[in-house]
Amino acid sequence: MGEKKTVRLKVKRQEGPKAKPYWEAFDIPYRPYMNVIICLKEIQKNPRTFDGRKTSPVAWESSCLEEVCGICTMVINGKARQACSALVDPLGEEITIEPMRKFPVVRDLVVDRAVLFENLKKVRAWVSIDGTHAIGPGPRVNPEQQQKDYVLSTCFSCGCCLDVCPQVGEGTGFMGAMTISQVRLFNDHPLGKMNAGERLEALMGPGGIEDCGNSQNCVKACPKNIPLVTSIAEVNRQITKKIFGFLGK
Amino acid sequence: MDSSYEIKISPHFWLRRLHSLSGIFPIGAFLVEHMLSNALIVKGPEAYNNQIEFLSGLPYVLWLEIFFIYLPILYHAFYGFYVAFTGRNNLAWYPYRANWLYSLQRWTGLIAFVYIFYHAYHTRGVNLLYGTEVDFARMAQFMKDPRILAFYITGLAAVMFHFANGIWGFLVSWGITIGPRSQKAAGAVCALVGLSLFVIGVNSLLHLARA
Amino acid sequence: MVVVGGGLAGLMAAIRLAEGGHQVDLLSMVPCKRSHSVCAQGGINASVNTKGEGDSPRIHFEETLLGGDFLANQTMVMEMCENAPNFIYMLDRMGVQFNRTAEGLIDFRRFGGTRFHRTAFAGATTGQQILYALDEQVRRWEVEGRVRRFEGWEFLSALIDEGGVGRGVVAMDLHNFEIRAFRADAVIFATGGPGMIYGRSTNSMICTGSAAGALFRQGVWYANGEFIQVHPTAIAGEDKNRLISEAVRGEGGRLWTYKDGKRWYFLEEWYPKYGNLVPRDIASRAIFKVCRELKLGVEGQDVVYLDISHVDKKLLHERLSGILEIYEKFMNEDPTKVPMRVFPSVHYSMGGIYIDQKHMTNVPGLLAAGECDYQYHGANRLGANSLLSCIQGGQAAAKRAQEYVQGLEKGAESLGAKFFEDQIRKEEAANDEILRRHGKENPYQLWEEMGRIMTDNVTVVRYNSKLEEADRVLQELTRRLKDASITDGSKWTNQALVFTRQLENMLELARVITLGALRRDESRGAHYKPDFPNRDDANWLKTTVARYTPKGPELSYEAVDTSLIQPRERKY
Repeated sequence: MGEKKTVRLKVKRQEGPKAKPYWEAFDIPYRPYMNVIICLKEIQKNPRTFDGRKTSPVAWESSCLEEVCGICTMVINGKARQACSALVDPLGEEITIEPMRKFPVVRDLVVDRAVLFENLKKVRAWVSIDGTHAIGPGPRVNPEQQQKDYVLSTCFSCGCCLDVCPQVGEGTGFMGAMTISQVRLFNDHPLGKMNAGERLEALMGPGGIEDCGNSQNCVKACPKNIPLVTSIAEVNRQITKKIFGFLGK
Repeated sequence: MDSSYEIKISPHFWLRRLHSLSGIFPIGAFLVEHMLSNALIVKGPEAYNNQIEFLSGLPYVLWLEIFFIYLPILYHAFYGFYVAFTGRNNLAWYPYRANWLYSLQRWTGLIAFVYIFYHAYHTRGVNLLYGTEVDFARMAQFMKDPRILAFYITGLAAVMFHFANGIWGFLVSWGITIGPRSQKAAGAVCALVGLSLFVIGVNSLLHLARA
Repeated sequence: MVVVGGGLAGLMAAIRLAEGGHQVDLLSMVPCKRSHSVCAQGGINASVNTKGEGDSPRIHFEETLLGGDFLANQTMVMEMCENAPNFIYMLDRMGVQFNRTAEGLIDFRRFGGTRFHRTAFAGATTGQQILYALDEQVRRWEVEGRVRRFEGWEFLSALIDEGGVGRGVVAMDLHNFEIRAFRADAVIFATGGPGMIYGRSTNSMICTGSAAGALFRQGVWYANGEFIQVHPTAIAGEDKNRLISEAVRGEGGRLWTYKDGKRWYFLEEWYPKYGNLVPRDIASRAIFKVCRELKLGVEGQDVVYLDISHVDKKLLHERLSGILEIYEKFMNEDPTKVPMRVFPSVHYSMGGIYIDQKHMTNVPGLLAAGECDYQYHGANRLGANSLLSCIQGGQAAAKRAQEYVQGLEKGAESLGAKFFEDQIRKEEAANDEILRRHGKENPYQLWEEMGRIMTDNVTVVRYNSKLEEADRVLQELTRRLKDASITDGSKWTNQALVFTRQLENMLELARVITLGALRRDESRGAHYKPDFPNRDDANWLKTTVARYTPKGPELSYEAVDTSLIQPRERKY
């Protein structure tokens, strides 16, 4: 490890939403345990390309740096993932960094992911409680079910599952695996269940579950190892039951 | 309440489900029947010609064909094209197994469509339009041409892959196989079904070519 | 109504205001779901006593005060502890995935500063789970049309009219740099902590404390700034220090280092009653003593071992997986097999914006809640009380805001447009001024220098001479920042420009912290001076109140609320 002196960072840059993208390369002194964030910070402190040319600092977002906030998601060596947990060592001496592919670029590596939260509104991803006032304890929950649902609940809306999905794009408006998985989560909850029908119907609408093409990239890309394909299949089962319900009316 | 969040079930939902279903029934069912009927080729011209006669002698055969074969296939094909064109293949970035299957499903769909069109014209179309007799001899004649034989085998492979992978996807889309274990098992079964039908089909074609 | 900040406290306030029938504008610099509250790992305290240990809100109250060395507001802490069980139930109904007992009840684990099982938890990402639940409820109110969310908006300044009354805020869209005035009859600030002042801390990159600094510069008072909690167990990193929750010790984790070739469990030896679960200030000082004074850190470095490898793997997976994954991802070692290498890190600010007992700041119409306020934790916060104080603060501030608005004679609507336009122009001019700077300094490098000086001198062990030196450097940095060029003239997502503005506020707040520490000649909670090793109630049982003057922060002192129990000696 000692002989590695610098890391070459190739960054895809773009001044604004309509501007033409271009590439710039930066050389960063290598340190052990280095991650992509440290590389980008180094550029902030000294915004010069590898050949010494002065440039504007690269725009990128970060916050928790512990892989729980999801904000620093970008495409690193071709794969959508969080920059904070992308340690430099396994990435090789030349690292390419691009903004996420399925969201409009704001500037450089900053993208607009507001659509993720809009999708959660469309599918009513919440428990419709009566209010926040004191009305006593909530329902009892089987610990096994809690363990299962907790995993679904760790989704931090990073958008990787949408970024890798061949079905997500302007053609479909597909809401993606994370949205479907959240429907599964709330339909599982003892109180959330009460509005299960509504959520399923939302997924039968535009951009809903029918746009899934079963490429199963989502489950591979999820940094939290959420069983997204299982969530999709489970919600499909709930919808199939619902279809029979319709037919019986 | 903000009206932009009203819940509406879209026609696409029903059409896509119908698309998925039509691949299994009636198209898949017909495919299986068709392959087994054709397998009679190995029993010689007489058995095969009898089967053709039996099938074409069914009452309301044209109506049966239209509603259980032609229309479903046309619907499945054209809605399939629409679905395929809304997606964007990304194998270059994510060359995972299931992603390959996803892309192959779309490509084989296209090949299958061309193949089936060609095949249906020469085996059924010519009969309906010009009264040409389609029997063992005519098919054998066809298969003597190695280009046609190769095209048939390719077409058959595409159809069988599309069918087998289609069943696998169907089981997920309808929520029958949910977890990774059941999906893996279903994958093995589907692969076996597709492969078996493909072998049966190729065997029939080779019999024709050698006849 | 405006709420600034989309973490736990801000979301809780927004929900309560919406429930109360108000229209709410919720401003947050990042999507609320990405707020720093996600980083809270271990849990949230509530004395429900389902384990039959005899715990009660009263004991919770006393332990919180003792933990905070009696500098917290007793009336407010009492209210918080009494509300706690109902908050847990409320969160449970919202769908927070709390771990369960065999009977399906919410499970509780142990945390520092108490011997009861009092901490409800959702795996090891409790803050994330609670934040999501509140975020979902706000989303519901958005669909109902009661809340408008402005995510990606940076707070710049409060609108304070000639009568000294808060009338809203001015904020900037971080993408297109549009500056807008948000009129409001009341504003609740829930803008979080200032960890970034220390360069590297367990805080998120967004925890600059800039909003509190900006308010301070506008005349809003700041209290107890010198009380900065240093968490005993974090993984030191170049980009940030990653927290390893107290929950690890709550579930049986032990701290040790080698002494004479043998494992030495120093906390268990020094504090036999509480062992590894002494409050954080005490544990951090102990680790400093081991590493710096006794030079017994692992391999002579600033490192001790936090060991969980003896605990049942299934239990670890169910209760701590989130933390253990962090360690494995960033350190490339499996903590269920080898002990974790940890060292203390700046973690939380007990001090914050000055508020009265109902969360109003000294400027009527401006309220504060969450980590950015100061009343609940005194001189040292107990683990798992922060999520609780966010919920408590958020709802209490919302309650007070509604009462305040009802009693208001004329609302923000009565002010002419000019008042708002002037303020917008002022902020635009401030941006332009920074864009015109073409000196040789780089703001990010200055920030690093500030972080170093603060971490070296204003954390666990404090000396007056070094504090004086730190303050001098801070003033120097403020001056050098005027000479900083940001090499980017754009007014589109210009992050360096935003950061420069934040840094100005951070430097101001850094001085408040440093001067507060310099003046307080005693040792209390997280504030420890070897030259004044004892608590001095006669002179210092007081709240530090800092006021802005152009010449620097001016400090004065106020009596602490001790209406419920008498301060006693703090011993563990």
